[in-house]
Amino acid sequence: MSTASYTPPRHPLPPPPPSRGRSRAAAKRRPVARESGGALAFVVAAAATLVCAAPGLAVIGMAIGAKGEMDATAWKLLGDALLGTITLIALGGAAATVIGAGAAFLVSLCRFPGRGVFEWLLAAPLAAPAYVLAFGYSSLTWAGGPVPLPLTGIAGAAFVYALAFYPYAYLSTRAALATQSAGALEAARMLGAGPRRALIGVALPLARPGIAAGAALIAMEIAADFGAASHFGATTVTTGLFRAWYAHGEPAVALRLASVLLIAAFGLLFVERWMRGRARIAGGTWRAPPKVKLSAPAGLAAAMFCGLIIALAFAAPLGWLARLAATRPASDFDELGRQLLNSFMLAGIGAAATLLVSIAIAAAARASQAGRAALFAASAGYAAPGAAIALGALALFGAAREMGLVGGLSAGLAVFMLVWTYASRFAAAGAQPIEAGLLRITPSHTGAARLLGAGRMRRILAIDLPMAAPSAAAAALIVFVEILKELPATLILRPFDFDTLAVIAYSYASDERLAQSAAPALMVTAAGLVPILLFTRRIDTARPGTRMGGR
Amino acid sequence: MAALEPQTWSRRGVLLGAGALAACGPAQRTAGKAGAAGGHVNVYTARHYDADKQIYALFKERTGIEVRALASNGDQLIERLRAEGEATEADLVVTVDAGVLWRLTEAGLLQGVTSPTLEAAAPARFHDPQGRWWAFSKRYRVIVYKKGAVDPAELASMDALTTPRFARQICARTSSNTYNLSMLAARIERDGRAKALAWARAVRGNFARDPQGSDTDQIKAVAAGECQAAIVNHYYFLRLKASGDAAERAIADEVGVVFPDQAGAGAHVNISGAGVSTYAKRKAAAVQLLEFFFTPEAQRAFQELNEEFPVRPDAELIPTLAEFGRFREEQVAFDALGRNQPEAAKVFEEAGWK
Repeated sequence: MSTASYTPPRHPLPPPPPSRGRSRAAAKRRPVARESGGALAFVVAAAATLVCAAPGLAVIGMAIGAKGEMDATAWKLLGDALLGTITLIALGGAAATVIGAGAAFLVSLCRFPGRGVFEWLLAAPLAAPAYVLAFGYSSLTWAGGPVPLPLTGIAGAAFVYALAFYPYAYLSTRAALATQSAGALEAARMLGAGPRRALIGVALPLARPGIAAGAALIAMEIAADFGAASHFGATTVTTGLFRAWYAHGEPAVALRLASVLLIAAFGLLFVERWMRGRARIAGGTWRAPPKVKLSAPAGLAAAMFCGLIIALAFAAPLGWLARLAATRPASDFDELGRQLLNSFMLAGIGAAATLLVSIAIAAAARASQAGRAALFAASAGYAAPGAAIALGALALFGAAREMGLVGGLSAGLAVFMLVWTYASRFAAAGAQPIEAGLLRITPSHTGAARLLGAGRMRRILAIDLPMAAPSAAAAALIVFVEILKELPATLILRPFDFDTLAVIAYSYASDERLAQSAAPALMVTAAGLVPILLFTRRIDTARPGTRMGGR
Repeated sequence: MAALEPQTWSRRGVLLGAGALAACGPAQRTAGKAGAAGGHVNVYTARHYDADKQIYALFKERTGIEVRALASNGDQLIERLRAEGEATEADLVVTVDAGVLWRLTEAGLLQGVTSPTLEAAAPARFHDPQGRWWAFSKRYRVIVYKKGAVDPAELASMDALTTPRFARQICARTSSNTYNLSMLAARIERDGRAKALAWARAVRGNFARDPQGSDTDQIKAVAAGECQAAIVNHYYFLRLKASGDAAERAIADEVGVVFPDQAGAGAHVNISGAGVSTYAKRKAAAVQLLEFFFTPEAQRAFQELNEEFPVRPDAELIPTLAEFGRFREEQVAFDALGRNQPEAAKVFEEAGWK
């Protein structure tokens, strides 16, 4: 499997004997031979998995227990829905991955006019929710809009997904390129490899875990999206789920579709693992990779490629929405400040809680087999539609209430349930990049730490986590912005008189008041931009041994 | 809008949300009871309209009772109410579409209430016989057509959309849309499944393109000449007509509106309605708010801000609505819309209407 151009020594030290849970003091006295923290890692992994997987498991449980037969129409719906989702992942997902990874390679490894600006501008579209792009593009291109284009059905949804989701591949590929050893590329050059050979033979294999993690995130985002698919009239597993739920009044079919998504998510993760293969990257220096100066025509082409992406994914649809927002009276904007505050509050609490769970899972995954299983199990929630996970959480709440453990869904409990649902949905989005970052920690780091007598937990805290800081920054950014954009769970689980920007934007848009929804939609995008720009800078500046941000 | 004060609880939300699960339930429940004395009422609503916010503000002005709202999708609110059971904080449940009202009633989530005010305001057909739901506003599913290309006389009935005259000339939104489902559910009730299927299949055969977008998008497509006719709710046309955007007003000028089936069943009508939650903690205030929806000022606000028709027969119509003239409406019982919706979804699926 491994296509790395050189194979690092896998085990510079003999494998350690199984852990016996010795204290740190004992471990210090007898370096190398003793491990500690295996049991703790297991407990952490189990707890994090339970937090993440419980709502999804509740959905699968309800699907199994639900009454109602699958008749011919239901089977047909299931078939159409699967076909639609697979087609969209194949078209939109592939395009998003190619665009994102391609752009990341350009700005990380090449020098061309405008590179410094494009480097951070290319991450900006991450702040724009897919449904906002869908509304913007339909208003731009459908009847009555200024740019007639046949953006409908599967093709329209795939187009929007490619633009909305490419930043996942862009960020994770860039994180991989930014933190990997510049030495490998320099060595390749000193050995006489031209830029092309260095790219294909060295940089690409080194970035593969990052690209694969990005592609998996994109595929799961596409599988879970409701807003854009339903607006373009594309039948997917998620739109089919809502059709079965609302229209047919058949929770059994809806829950089974949700289960299909959860199981499909496992499949996707498996593919991602398989793509990543056994590649392990060794290398210890933390320098920016050497950049190749592009010739004038090539540089111009690169700049145009990056500019076109930003124009299509950001400037055109959002500029059009801004024009729509300008037709509204100023009174429309009165409440936006408070809704912005609400959005930030929920996203802040949610991202903090989710990141904790993500780190626990990623660290446990590195420490033990059980942890790896935990990462796998926890990841399924990401591909499931938020509404299905919210349903699962509601069902768990209902069960707890009937057992007398909790009372009504008060404001505090509602926020707690929301944060839980966020953690369940997005822990994978956080854990994936963190784990990809941890993969770059070499056996020699670990070996040196063990020679110095560091136990397993200490190695996780003192080496693994600091070294994964750039990836953790990317994870925090992705989760925070995800929660800013999140809709279905926020809609159903939020407390009274508590509107977020995403909720308001969606409510107006679903009521076909696009001009009124434009301002909050632009605000949610702007709100996401701040952390994105902040964090993308820090991905570059973060170095091991410094605090994140490198101050 | 006024009357929304989340600061107090949002701070509490931060603390409790971050921490103790067990402690917050009872704490909040006590707060709820104290609040009832101070005068507020909790509303779960599928209507996130500015009209409703204005009515809540008016209600507070008139009665001193503050309305706290949670706006979400109707079917998701049903699931939340189910999970909350007797612990729910919801007092009044407000929604659009007769189907959702029927599902709420079937799930036992609404209790019967009545009062002389309600009885006097809502004709018998517009409330549940046991008082579990009361409809306060109406919307019609009408046909919009391209002026110049179509003579409105050609569209006197919804059946006209099935004729060869409109081959490849019909635009429609997807069949999972509630308004389409309720419309077909009413047709199933009137004509039976077989005829409803034949109608849906024939209309589908006349599609100019695959279903996509919203009702407003259908109107824009008709105006642009992508098709000659489409089925939409009446108020989307009125909104374009009154839009602050000149381009949208120009679109409304391109299309005409027909209230179909005046010689037959009447134009399809759907309702917005509300009911008191089975486990309402502030039942009196909930009934008071429900009654308030039928006051002349509220019935006027539904018209002015949301272009909906009032349910009160004696309510005065605003000029934009009065311009449509008098017309007949379909007389199918509203609970049939909910009962037949699952069947309607299957019929659409069989007809190939995406």
